[in-house]
Amino acid sequence: MNLSIEQRDTATGPVLHLVGDLDYEQAPRLRRHLDTLVLRVGHCLLMDLSGLEFCDSSGITALLTAHGQARTAGAAFALAAVPPRTLRLLSIVGLDQVLTIRPHTDAPAR
Amino acid sequence: MCRVGEEPGPPDERAATDAAFTALLEDSAEDLYEQAPCGYLSTLMDGTIAKINDTLLGWLGLERAEVVGRMRFTDLLTVGGKLYHETHFAPLLRMQGEVHGIALEMRTAGRGRLPTLVSSTVKRGGDGEALLIRTTVFDASDRRAYEAELLRRRREAEQARAEAERAHARAEAALRQAETDRQRLTEALSALQQSLVPSSLPAVPGLETAVYYHTASPDLLGGDFYDLFPVGGGRWAFFLGDVCGKGPEAASLTSLTRYTLRAAALHDPEPAAALRTLNAVLHEHYTAAGDPRYCTVVFGLLEQAEDGRVGVKVASGGHPPSLILRADGDSEFLPTPGGLLVGVLPEAPFTTATTVLAPGDTLLLYTDGLTEARTGPTREGLFGDEALLAFAADQAPATPRGLVEALTVLLKGFGDGLEDDTALLALGVSAARPTTDPAADAP
Repeated sequence: MNLSIEQRDTATGPVLHLVGDLDYEQAPRLRRHLDTLVLRVGHCLLMDLSGLEFCDSSGITALLTAHGQARTAGAAFALAAVPPRTLRLLSIVGLDQVLTIRPHTDAPAR
Repeated sequence: MCRVGEEPGPPDERAATDAAFTALLEDSAEDLYEQAPCGYLSTLMDGTIAKINDTLLGWLGLERAEVVGRMRFTDLLTVGGKLYHETHFAPLLRMQGEVHGIALEMRTAGRGRLPTLVSSTVKRGGDGEALLIRTTVFDASDRRAYEAELLRRRREAEQARAEAERAHARAEAALRQAETDRQRLTEALSALQQSLVPSSLPAVPGLETAVYYHTASPDLLGGDFYDLFPVGGGRWAFFLGDVCGKGPEAASLTSLTRYTLRAAALHDPEPAAALRTLNAVLHEHYTAAGDPRYCTVVFGLLEQAEDGRVGVKVASGGHPPSLILRADGDSEFLPTPGGLLVGVLPEAPFTTATTVLAPGDTLLLYTDGLTEARTGPTREGLFGDEALLAFAADQAPATPRGLVEALTVLLKGFGDGLEDDTALLALGVSAARPTTDPAADAP
């Protein structure tokens, strides 16, 4: 399934709503989108994963790229509404300890 | 209906037709000779032209007066025609008394050439003496043109065929070259693959080992790796892992990871220390350079105890937990929670776990190719941890070889569902360990 990315700019920073698969074939779409992203110091780049169908190691890499990009820009980074399967994957690879994960896009960090 | 016995047509009509037919025959005798659709000529035996018809004179553009009694048949021919007449036509005629349909070229008054087909017969007297030669000449211009056209077409066809053959030869050469290139590439990839995983594991005293390695990529280059090697003091180190990405790009990371871990382990075989070194190397090499790449890996250290049991210490960086199949039939994961992907952050936490393998126990390390294998048509049905644990429970107790064989059958059953690279490494303490009875050694 193709990945579609919908960007919403809020007062606290951009929210990327990912729908579809974030895998080896589709991850480059996210990377290309990140290239166009403007982040300000103090903003938060929020990835809304509520529509994520599948995420593999290439998807994790793309999320880490976004994470790195936010850090470089002096912005925060968070994942929201992570599907259980992806959450399990994040926990296996230890990223649940490193990345900020929120239950919803409008909820504060847990 | 046709009435039987009746002559066709009325009597008057029949008479008129017969009269016209007779007139035509009588009228044509002389005219047919002069105006025939072919040339006629008669020559004496020495070739002197005695008689020639209007048709041939017209073709050649000659007057009767300049020809009859003044020219020989050969005077009407081109040089080539003369030569052929001399060497073929005349001898044949002398021998056989007649020749048919010989192609001769005649010369016209306008210095043109007329291709003709000539037939001649020798007329003999009552005593058999040759009197004269009767010759008919057919204008073969059209036929020549047709033949020339045929010849041209044939040459074209032959050229086309030759061209096609050359193209075919070129295509075959290209195919051979491609096959050679493919062969060379396969050999190069195979050699490269040997740098990712060892071609065989070393024999470790008291330990049984088994491996399985599958690359989903057709170029054989995988993102999975494993190794087993001595680190001194009777200790052995092993690792198994999975780098992000696929194919050649992943392979360079795999290679860097494997050799970094080997070198790190020789310096300090403590599992968490080896992973910290790898983390620093990968982070510096990739992520800090803006190209985040990482791997998940389990690194372990084996230390054999006096009693034949083997102490195992493993550290994990983001890798699924190892599995232990006990000699008594139990099976369990060896959890290493919280260990982070290697190479993501400059400082990463790694979790260490320890266990002891008794004779008959087997430790299994695997990559997520196994647990992420699709068991159904969609990604919803994955094999998963629980299924793996249940499978292990069915197999336990199992030798490393037996376990890997059973898992190989299981993986083959997934068919196309096996989308990712998959590596398995099983280590077990030999159950049938030769025990030395001190009493038996006593004299």
